[in-house]
Amino acid sequence: MLLKIIKCIISMIMLVMAVGSAIAEEEVATAKQVVDKFQVDLIDVMKNGKKLGYQGRYDRLAKSVADSHDLTKIARIVVGQEWEKLTEEQQLKFIDVFTRLSIASYAHNFKEYAGESFVFDTETETKRGGVVVHSHLNIPDDKPVKFEYQLKDKGKSWRIINIIANGVSDLAVKRSEYTSILQREGFDALVAIINEKIENYSKQ
Amino acid sequence: MNRQNEGNHQIKATVLFYAILVGLFVNLSGCATTGDNKPEVEVNKLDPYEGFNRRVFGFNDSVDSYVAKPISDAYLYVTPKFVQTGVANFFTNLKNINVVLNDFLQAKFSQGAADTGRFAVNSTFGLVGLFDIAKELGLEQHEEDFDQTLAVWGVPPGSYLVLPFLGPSTTRGVPGAVFDTATNPTSYIGAPVQLISLLNTRANAEGSLKFINEAALDPYVFTREAFFQWRKNLAVDGKPEASIDSDLDNLLGDDDVSVRPEKVKSGVEMNNNHDTSNTDPTLKSKDEFGQVSESFGNVTESFKTTVKSFEKANNKLDSIKVK
Repeated sequence: MLLKIIKCIISMIMLVMAVGSAIAEEEVATAKQVVDKFQVDLIDVMKNGKKLGYQGRYDRLAKSVADSHDLTKIARIVVGQEWEKLTEEQQLKFIDVFTRLSIASYAHNFKEYAGESFVFDTETETKRGGVVVHSHLNIPDDKPVKFEYQLKDKGKSWRIINIIANGVSDLAVKRSEYTSILQREGFDALVAIINEKIENYSKQ
Repeated sequence: MNRQNEGNHQIKATVLFYAILVGLFVNLSGCATTGDNKPEVEVNKLDPYEGFNRRVFGFNDSVDSYVAKPISDAYLYVTPKFVQTGVANFFTNLKNINVVLNDFLQAKFSQGAADTGRFAVNSTFGLVGLFDIAKELGLEQHEEDFDQTLAVWGVPPGSYLVLPFLGPSTTRGVPGAVFDTATNPTSYIGAPVQLISLLNTRANAEGSLKFINEAALDPYVFTREAFFQWRKNLAVDGKPEASIDSDLDNLLGDDDVSVRPEKVKSGVEMNNNHDTSNTDPTLKSKDEFGQVSESFGNVTESFKTTVKSFEKANNKLDSIKVK
């Protein structure tokens, strides 16, 4: 009898713990879950690419990108020290055009599906409390492309701040380009080039 | 005997070609910095010859737009996919002699053995390399070259160079390319095959070039950054290393700028190793003579560093041999 009661209590405790941990998991999406969700969305948009059209893909991805990337932080990092030299109005304008460019480039580059699939490899922690999700994109009849997502904790959830494709860091390349243009040609020229790129993406 | 002489002649010609390129580069870099009289902020460590490099980049871009791309487009349009794949396989297979050599030079013995097997299988069963049978057998194609070997031996990349017709390289990449050309049978077959090889290289790069064209806000900077990172990644065989973390931390270091201004400096100094954006060679304000002699001095300096690293690497090899 006593044994039965003990067994019952233990199973109750285990049940409570299981429910508790499930709730905790629901509250904060892990870095891996954020990347997974984004990749699932991307593949889905690719599969429906033709049907959706450019604007359809853009609208669908706008939410996915916003939910998974910290675009404000990325925008700040890519202009480096030049950020401090911009007026508040310019900073807001830059975040806006940068966000639209990021979504537009996804909408343009992920428009067709030919059996590609993302595969999760590993997850590592960085010294500064970030997480790197290592994954790769399998492409039929081609070499797989390695994708490393660097994420930072943003309040309640993780956000992508950099993507390294086959060893080439998107953030580092963009940062060099943006600071170079700001120094050589100034803010208005940079915004004009970005707007031109967005327009080109929407046309093709 | 005659053939051997011809081979030697070809190697000499190749070496001469690169020597001329280097000479041309040294001369032009002097001229290029004197061309613009605008003040300069600071000289970039990885790209001190940006003014010159940008000109060659522009020249290469024109050559590509007016000559290489139209021919490559026609090739891609006219030939069926299986022909393109066969041609690509053929040249990749010939390159594998060089890959095997570099495997061993980098002490990657098991990979060297696998790549030897790859070359043997594809050269025989794959009908002189037209079919990539080895891939079906699970033998992956590796990318190795002498520039990577030099990187593994500890030779620093040196300065960024854009070579006429050949594109992005570094001071370390020039001797690397000489070695790779000398060990690639394509260099000895004859002009028509070499032309097809060039066509194949351009056609295979179509996707990447199109992407750069679409995505890059400043194609020159984009190519330079991507090139350095791609080469670095190849040299470490794509192994995720600590540098990813530190690279990101350096970039994020800038994010703290507004909060702690004193941190900015150290962050930027650290960045100088891989971030090549903070300069503009068109903004220079020294007298012309000073510029010429300085840029010449810089070139000699970076070649000196490369030569020194060669010596070091040589000593290392000697000590291995003694063991």
